[in-house]
Amino acid sequence: MAEVVLEGVSKRFKENVAVDDLSLTISDGEFVVLLGPTGVGKTTTLRLIAGLEQVDGGKVLIGGEDATHAEPAERDTAFVFQQYSLYPHLTVYDNLAFPLRSPLRGLAEAEIRRRVSEVASMLRIDDKLSNPATRLSGGQMQRVAIGRALVRRPNIYLMDEPLSSLDAKLRSDLRLELKRIQNDMGATILYVTHDQIEAMTMASRIGVMDAGKLVQIGTPREIYENPLSTYVAARLGQPAINLLPRALLGDLPVPPGTATIGARTEHVRLTKANGAPRGIAGTINWIEHLGDHNHLHVAVGDADIVTLADPDSGLGVGDLVSIEFARPLFFGASGMRISG
Amino acid sequence: MNLLPSSASLIEKAARATPPSFVGKVRGLSDKAIAWIFIAPTLLLLLAINIFPLIWTIQLSFTNYRANRPNAPLRDVGLAHYNEILTNPDIWAAMQVTARFVIASIVIQTVLGFLLAWLIDRKFRGSGFLTTMILLPMMLSPAVVGNFWTFLYQPQIGLFNYIVAFVTGIPPSSFQMLGDVNLSPWAIVLVDSWMWTPYVMLICLAGLRSIPDYIYEAAEVDRASKWRQFWTITLPMAMPFIMLAVLFRGIENFKMFDMVNLLTGGGPGSTTEVASITLKREAFEKWRTGYSSAFAIILFVTVFGLANIYVRALNRVKSR
Ligand SMILES: Nc1ncnc2c1ncn2[C@@H]1O[C@H](COP(=O)(O)OP(=O)(O)OP(=O)(O)O)[C@@H](O)[C@H]1O
Ligand SMILES: [Mg+2]
Repeated sequence: MAEVVLEGVSKRFKENVAVDDLSLTISDGEFVVLLGPTGVGKTTTLRLIAGLEQVDGGKVLIGGEDATHAEPAERDTAFVFQQYSLYPHLTVYDNLAFPLRSPLRGLAEAEIRRRVSEVASMLRIDDKLSNPATRLSGGQMQRVAIGRALVRRPNIYLMDEPLSSLDAKLRSDLRLELKRIQNDMGATILYVTHDQIEAMTMASRIGVMDAGKLVQIGTPREIYENPLSTYVAARLGQPAINLLPRALLGDLPVPPGTATIGARTEHVRLTKANGAPRGIAGTINWIEHLGDHNHLHVAVGDADIVTLADPDSGLGVGDLVSIEFARPLFFGASGMRISG
Repeated sequence: MNLLPSSASLIEKAARATPPSFVGKVRGLSDKAIAWIFIAPTLLLLLAINIFPLIWTIQLSFTNYRANRPNAPLRDVGLAHYNEILTNPDIWAAMQVTARFVIASIVIQTVLGFLLAWLIDRKFRGSGFLTTMILLPMMLSPAVVGNFWTFLYQPQIGLFNYIVAFVTGIPPSSFQMLGDVNLSPWAIVLVDSWMWTPYVMLICLAGLRSIPDYIYEAAEVDRASKWRQFWTITLPMAMPFIMLAVLFRGIENFKMFDMVNLLTGGGPGSTTEVASITLKREAFEKWRTGYSSAFAIILFVTVFGLANIYVRALNRVKSR
């Protein structure tokens, strides 16, 4: 395992800037998650580290050495591709063994078999080892792709949405398993996901990308609690953070320059208004029942605030409520955070 | 051979593909009837030019019929012709010549064709133009190619001998490509390969283009060398296409007639007498129509049987 450093890396496809002056240090043994909506350059960043794309500017350092122009094989990375990329003419076993059979490694066949079966049983594909790689379900293919990376001990694991097509149960199992592997082996991992739980539970640090740039990086807690902009704030939180125009909220005391107020769903307090409501008033117009908790949609003016509530809070559709914010975040007109 | 689904299932597929009731409403005919009407002309034509002659040939092969004496009394000879052919050493010699010819040209054309495809697959400037140039020989008629190479092979004035002489220093008139017992089979293999290697290349190119880039990317990351990528990815994934090219060329070369006929006519002696030349001699020089019909049937069954075994192997490779 090794430290990987990106220094002001850029990548253009014709006119289209996919990665823009991106600097990122992934320490040895660190688990960094890249977050961002589709098309912001997450996959491209991974491909630049693996050497599948050449940078237009900047440097890639792997284990302290300049690997900017090194071949993929020299960089010794393991890649779990977004679209699986299995070898279709090989069996599952041979797919998993393929990287181990590299002459660069010179492993004995018995050692290969041991590692393959270890990884296969962890990913629960040991009964599929003799299947051709094309006769698998999407989730099974994805596990083979993960396995093909995990049999190796590379400088860094690059994983592009590796758990996206698995069912909830398997996903949470593999989440724990990946985290365990990372702890046991001290693996360096750069991981792309759209899944908040994966990002929050596995990451040492989360990096949020916007249009090819890294806009904020920090521990999951920092990103969640201290987002630098509305863009970052909107990446985490399920349902998403409430972003409300300042004008809507009347005489709420805010720092000067505030244009938008952010309130996470769990920080919105509702009290049933008997008669004239205090502070901000709203009407409950819709309730989503999720079992262990409810989402209440509250109409305030023409905005819609979403909050969490106990199923037995006693609130019902049509109720008039007064709203308080526990830990509001203040953002300026540009969307950047204003400390208050 | 399983190359074509049976006509009945084809019709059913066509019937299912037709939007339901569209045509049916127009004329009150069922979709299936419409499908039959559409393919009937083709079926009739096939029947007339393929099936009917085949049945007729089978019939003639049991008689002493001679096409130059159509009015002679017809006698049923049973299996006598088949017996004679299968025990005739000349026939076996012709079969061996054919087999050697088929194997030599397939090996050369496949190796060269695949190599060319592999080289041309990496896009470079002018690769499109080069592909067209390489494909030119294939577009010529065998008659043209045969005559053309007969001139090239001329010991005194032929360009081929001149070039060989230029490269090796042997005097050009000291050897005859078409007249020499040892050289003439290779002369034919050379012409056939010149003409048909581009065809094999084309099929191999389709195979190579069918391998997605991301497979190679995965292999790069998995630290497979270019050499290993070739043996573990390129070759196995292009294999069904290569095998298909071998099948097409094999069947063609087995029946190969026009080029041999034009270049050597089977000579010198019988060194290039492939089965189809023997067949022509029996049928149109000795006029033993019944006998040559039996030989034709034997050839047909041989090709059919070999192709069938081969297609099964091909399907196994494909379904891997
Ligand atoms: N090979 C390519 N050629 C041209 N443009 C490309 C290429 N690969 C990526 N791009 C462009 O670069 C940008 C970033 O793409 P990238 O695949 O890195 O996005 P992403 O963040 O991984 O998105 P997603 O979450 O959908 O996977 C996109 O605008 C995309 O259109
Ligand atoms: Mg992507």
